[in-house]
Amino acid sequence: MVLRKLRKNRLGQIGLAVIALNVLVALLAPVIATHDPLRIDVANPAAPPSAKSFFGTDEYGRDIFSRVIYGTRISLFVSLFSVLFATAVGVVLGAVAGYYGGWVDNLIMRVMDAVMSFPAILLAIAIMAFMGARLMNVVIALGCVYVPRFARIVRGSVLSVKQKEFVEASLALGNGDATIIFRHILPNCLAPLIVQATANLAYAILAESALSFLGLGTPPPAPSWGNILSEARDFMLDNVWMTVFPGLAITLAVLGFNLFGDALRDILDPRLN
Amino acid sequence: MIRYLLRRLGYLIPTLALVALMVFFLTHLIPGDPAVVMMGPDATQEDLDSARQTLGLDQPLWRQFGLWMGSLLQGDFGVSIHTHRPVFQSIKERFPVTITLTTLSLLLSLLFSLPAGVLAAAYHNTKKDYLFMLGTILGVSVPGFWLGLMALLVFSVHLGLIPSTGFVPLWIDFWEGLRFMILPSLTLGVYMAAVVARMTRSSMLEVLRLEYVTHARAKGLGEWKVMTKHALKNAFAPTLTTIGLQYGMLLGGAVVTETVFSLPGLGKYLVTSIYMRDYPVVQGCILFIALVYVLINMVVDLLYSYFDPRIEHA
Repeated sequence: MVLRKLRKNRLGQIGLAVIALNVLVALLAPVIATHDPLRIDVANPAAPPSAKSFFGTDEYGRDIFSRVIYGTRISLFVSLFSVLFATAVGVVLGAVAGYYGGWVDNLIMRVMDAVMSFPAILLAIAIMAFMGARLMNVVIALGCVYVPRFARIVRGSVLSVKQKEFVEASLALGNGDATIIFRHILPNCLAPLIVQATANLAYAILAESALSFLGLGTPPPAPSWGNILSEARDFMLDNVWMTVFPGLAITLAVLGFNLFGDALRDILDPRLN
Repeated sequence: MIRYLLRRLGYLIPTLALVALMVFFLTHLIPGDPAVVMMGPDATQEDLDSARQTLGLDQPLWRQFGLWMGSLLQGDFGVSIHTHRPVFQSIKERFPVTITLTTLSLLLSLLFSLPAGVLAAAYHNTKKDYLFMLGTILGVSVPGFWLGLMALLVFSVHLGLIPSTGFVPLWIDFWEGLRFMILPSLTLGVYMAAVVARMTRSSMLEVLRLEYVTHARAKGLGEWKVMTKHALKNAFAPTLTTIGLQYGMLLGGAVVTETVFSLPGLGKYLVTSIYMRDYPVVQGCILFIALVYVLINMVVDLLYSYFDPRIEHA
């Protein structure tokens, strides 16, 4: 049903195509890249785009095209795993809070409120500042920041479903709490969860690039898009190409997830339109 | 109204306490000994001891937190490890820059997004509406800091219209200050403008379906009057909440924008302090920005009840 509706949604299809392209580029990076993204070529620094290096080279002579291609891997890796982390933790916390209620609910949701009291990127910056710039830390930091959004969705649907007859029936059949939560309650909030997750994939790519740009994300020399921009910044006055292409790559990837996310929201959750 | 206000304030206290607790525990995320990390590998035993004492690391955990909270309540945000200046003093000096940037950003983004959202709703499902939607999706997809870099390249380097870096406070020379602020606030505001425009459009569409709007039209009121006077006032309440929540986006984004444009605000101070591992300053800045964000959202909640009086006060 979702697929049939997606067939009518032009923008959603474009989004999905862009995502597919990104995934493909990430998987085939060694094939697509024309150079080793880390290889320094002192004889050829800051070269403008040419047939040899499509996006030019950076101040160390590294091929920017190849770095942007490999950057896709880092961006998709960070965004996918931070969203998976946030979904897993958020689903458990939200389900426990909504299902058991009382002080457990109160405690969990107050902590979630406290996390939401920080501007998202600021909290990620804070966590990275103290944990240190490492790839896995970026995943954890962004994951933590996004947990409350998922917890709130799940808690809300648990509360609305908990009173329904089929849950009572399942209880009467002697099913345990875990069975009821996972088999009967969670499937009911799958749609809003998927919509939220897709939107968060886009946020996470933006956030990772901003963190790396500040030097608080993926540590150099890894070719993350934010890193390429951060390194290019001091040279951009004479070497425009260094900053243009990584920025376009970020925009395109985020655009793909946003277009697809919007289409999914229209299809799965018509109320929100 | 007063009871609502009090209840809202009462709700604020546990949230603020939890926020402070979280910021306090940030230092415990540091891998290894914080004193060693902060003072660097060349630190003498004396440096380390003095850092531990300044940070209260020689105390048991619960006492560290108690002391920290106690000083916070007296407005004492600790002392910088490197300059030995009170953190709150430095925050006070830099915050005006940040609040100017974010407020200007907010105003500019509302200036574009509210009319755009209303117009898109008026032209619902036409080509103009689709263009609008596409524009807003682009707006939330472009990284603001990259847009800032590009704007610098175009407007200051190539066109020479605007100085590339530097800063003059608006309260000293308004027009000169504005020249330094315009690019940062525009690039910072793009994301918010896109979000607010979409929210305005969808809440306008919701309201335009209601009977009182049909009634207003039937009375023979002009479309413009129906839109602005009748529909927009009611559609504004949900938009307002979005604005409150998105203000956090501006405060967080300001950290990156100030770094791109070298503006001497709180965000730049925070990032520089992170590089210098001046953790008391980092904690102070983060806590302060979170406090501002929480307070702004409280004000927004209170304003909400003005625009949508149906909200519960009891």
